[in-house]
Amino acid sequence: MQLEISNLRKAYGATVALDGVSFTATAPQFVCMLGPSGCGKTTLLRMIAGLVAPDSGRLLLNSEDLTRVPARRRGFGIVFQSYSLFPNMTVAENIGYGLRIRGDEAQRVRIRVLELLDVIRLSELADRYPWQLSGGQQQRVALARAIAAEPRLLLLDEPLSALDAKVRTDLRTEIRNLQQQLGLLTIMVTHDQEEALTLADRVVCMRQGSIAQAGSPEDLYRRPANRFVADFMGLSNMIPLETVQKFAAQLLEGHVPSDGATACVRPEDIVLVSGGAGATVKSVQFLGNISRVQVAWPGGELVAEQPGMAALAAGANVGLAFKPGGCAWVSAS
Amino acid sequence: MGIGIVTSIGIPRARDTDRLFLILCLVVPLSALILFFVYPLATVVVHSVTEPDGRIGFGNYATVISQPNFWRATANSMVMSLATTAVSLILGLIIAFATQRCRIAGRSLVLAAVALPLLAPSLVQGLGLIFLLGRNGLVTKALGVEFNIYGFWGLLIANSLYALPQAVLIIAAALRSADARVYEAAEVLGTSKLRQFFDITLPNIKFGLLSAGFIIFTVTITDFGNAATIGGDYAILATEIYGQVVGQMNFNLGAVVGIMLLLPTMLAFYLERVATQRQFGSGSDSAVPLVPGWSPARDIPMTVVAWIIALLPLITIGIVVYASFVWLWPYRFDLTVRHYAVKIAGGYEPLWTTVQISLLAAFAGAVMLFALGFALQRLPRSLVKPVYFLSLLPAAVPGLVLGLAYILTFNAASGPWQLLYGTAALLAICNMMHYWTQGFLTTMTGLRQVPAALEETAACLGAGLPRVMREVTGPLMAQTLISVFFFLFMRSMVTLSAVIFLVTASVSVASVSIMRLDEAGFTAQAAAFATCTMAVVIVAAGVMQLSLYLLGRRRR
Ligand SMILES: Nc1ncnc2c1ncn2[C@@H]1O[C@H](COP(=O)(O)OP(=O)(O)OP(=O)(O)O)[C@@H](O)[C@H]1O
Ligand SMILES: [Mg+2]
Repeated sequence: MQLEISNLRKAYGATVALDGVSFTATAPQFVCMLGPSGCGKTTLLRMIAGLVAPDSGRLLLNSEDLTRVPARRRGFGIVFQSYSLFPNMTVAENIGYGLRIRGDEAQRVRIRVLELLDVIRLSELADRYPWQLSGGQQQRVALARAIAAEPRLLLLDEPLSALDAKVRTDLRTEIRNLQQQLGLLTIMVTHDQEEALTLADRVVCMRQGSIAQAGSPEDLYRRPANRFVADFMGLSNMIPLETVQKFAAQLLEGHVPSDGATACVRPEDIVLVSGGAGATVKSVQFLGNISRVQVAWPGGELVAEQPGMAALAAGANVGLAFKPGGCAWVSAS
Repeated sequence: MGIGIVTSIGIPRARDTDRLFLILCLVVPLSALILFFVYPLATVVVHSVTEPDGRIGFGNYATVISQPNFWRATANSMVMSLATTAVSLILGLIIAFATQRCRIAGRSLVLAAVALPLLAPSLVQGLGLIFLLGRNGLVTKALGVEFNIYGFWGLLIANSLYALPQAVLIIAAALRSADARVYEAAEVLGTSKLRQFFDITLPNIKFGLLSAGFIIFTVTITDFGNAATIGGDYAILATEIYGQVVGQMNFNLGAVVGIMLLLPTMLAFYLERVATQRQFGSGSDSAVPLVPGWSPARDIPMTVVAWIIALLPLITIGIVVYASFVWLWPYRFDLTVRHYAVKIAGGYEPLWTTVQISLLAAFAGAVMLFALGFALQRLPRSLVKPVYFLSLLPAAVPGLVLGLAYILTFNAASGPWQLLYGTAALLAICNMMHYWTQGFLTTMTGLRQVPAALEETAACLGAGLPRVMREVTGPLMAQTLISVFFFLFMRSMVTLSAVIFLVTASVSVASVSIMRLDEAGFTAQAAAFATCTMAVVIVAAGVMQLSLYLLGRRRR
């Protein structure tokens, strides 16, 4: 199963929601679309689903042109953030709805529903109504309903955003496992970069209606294509080229960046040597698994992260080193 | 539907059925609006400019304007409507404040009593006042003084009672939307309760008051039933139209007066929409609701005042029911059912006709409004706006003008339309159009509360639009549609103004029977007929409450 999107564009009056969006994804990839609010993630997902028509561009699935095919004929599964279950149907009826629409006979629907109830571990709740379920249970039912009719593509629009942190991480793993088992090409919208990095095989980072970068999580984190992606994908130290040349020439590693380039150094790639000299600790934040240390350095301020509890206190003098290969150069924009 | 041939591998037929369904959902109600609202109204305009010799010109206007009668009726209409607006607004504000912001005894009874006039034909207020204050009225006899209830004062009381429920509804809603936190802040600052009322409460609901004022004005200036029973010699525009058409058979002059009446109602309706937007437009539900505490100094007087006001409609309508059972008003108060054997041609036939008409109007209206709303949610804005505007217009057209439009259109018409004239179906259609706007606004509000995600999920699961409507939107809209259905039913049961011109010897309605009985001097029988009509409406209201309750329980 291969999804190929080329040059999709959509404008709502003067707002351009999508502008020249292209990418390809192949089963069994898990693709996460990431980006700040209003960048067009939902619009793109809804366009893939067939709920929004593009102004121009094409959408192919296995080289079948779906651009003008209505949502009901695409055979995709979809899960929205909230309000996703039919309130007038029980859990079992919700899950079997797509199969009934397809015209499957009652017996087959029943068997398939039982199977899915087992998968989402809610067999005992089959006859409940949505309002009798917790938020997490509701989203699991919505997921079961989306995959019941063996969709060609699974689309998820922030399915976990309305849930609390614990349920969110649990369900996240569940979605990932299910997707792997089924080998299902899945596209999920999220605004949580951690979620994207842990779940996805491919991340599509969007900015103002176009794709800022698409690639593996590693690519986006380690080798951001531009400053926007570097900034968006977690914390980073952005050091201008002149500063690097003056105070941290080792970051150049024999590389000659173009004028106006910025070095992007992740906090975990900065090593602080206690007892050394060259920088001063400004503050230390203990975050559980890591400690975040703010240091003043002739080139400005930097953020460093160390595993566990840092044995440093504010005011201490430390030595500063950069892990080799930990620096990415991004252009100004 | 341009290309019927296959484009790539997609199956265009599927899309076409959805398209076709959407077009159907739009076109059927829209054609109804155009055929049974726009076209008749245009006919009125044409008639108003058709001179006696058949030429087009403003001669009719000149004739009407040169008549002192017309100017007297216009002045009377304005004075009456403004006076009613003032009275109903004040009474409405008191009741709304007492029930929303005070803890009064028998709160729901007060609200129910005030709402009573909605369940009865408007001429019942007139009848009730005659039984109380007329020549043979209870109060008149008890005090031994003679009032002249026919005329300005009688009509003012009747109209005020009639408009009160709508005033209370709007003002109470405006009061409910206020935020408790503002008052808590004022309390902390030590603002007195009276200052709070004038500095916070009134400014907060000013657009609600305006909106209520315009509604009262419109309801009053267009009402015919009260004026017909108790107006006496106090001629107003509505009775003037009726006189021109029924008395003098002068349809074109009636059309002119109708259009003159249309001007203030259109204006009032427009201003009402603006005021409503300002009061309720933001629609933020985040306000902390105000729960009044018990304060004897405020609540005891308010209870007394509220009950005095609530007793007015209660007594006025109650006395009609009572009078219908009295042997010979006001001489022999033995109870009897003899007046229930009504001596008018057709007997109770019109009541059953009205039930049928109302069922038809309610059913057709609810279905069409649902279909129209469903289509509007899926059509481009450029198409939605004019249809929306068109759907708001019927509320601005007085019933009498609509009725006049219907005779001018369907009586005189040649061809198939003439077949409709004199049928119950035409009466049902007329009622549906008369109350279209209120039903439309309710439906749209209901539709906005249906989460789009559900309809979209169904589409992704393969459901076509007819299926989405039946299995997803429909169940979620059930309560709204029931409300719309019963609203149309109950209004159709009691309306007089729009249908008065359309009844014939064989097809007539309850409110016309009541009016005829009253005109013929069979007042007790008119009361009996009115009581039966109210009984039907009250049963309908009960069925509505029950079905809403059952639906709500199934969902919760
Ligand atoms: N139906 C619409 N009408 C008009 N503008 C729209 C519509 N849908 C989206 N937009 C606009 O298109 C842009 C992209 O919206 P979209 O919902 O795709 O953003 P998003 O990336 O999903 O944001 P969020 O993270 O907040 O959900 C926004 O500027 C939005 O205001
Ligand atoms: Mg979104």
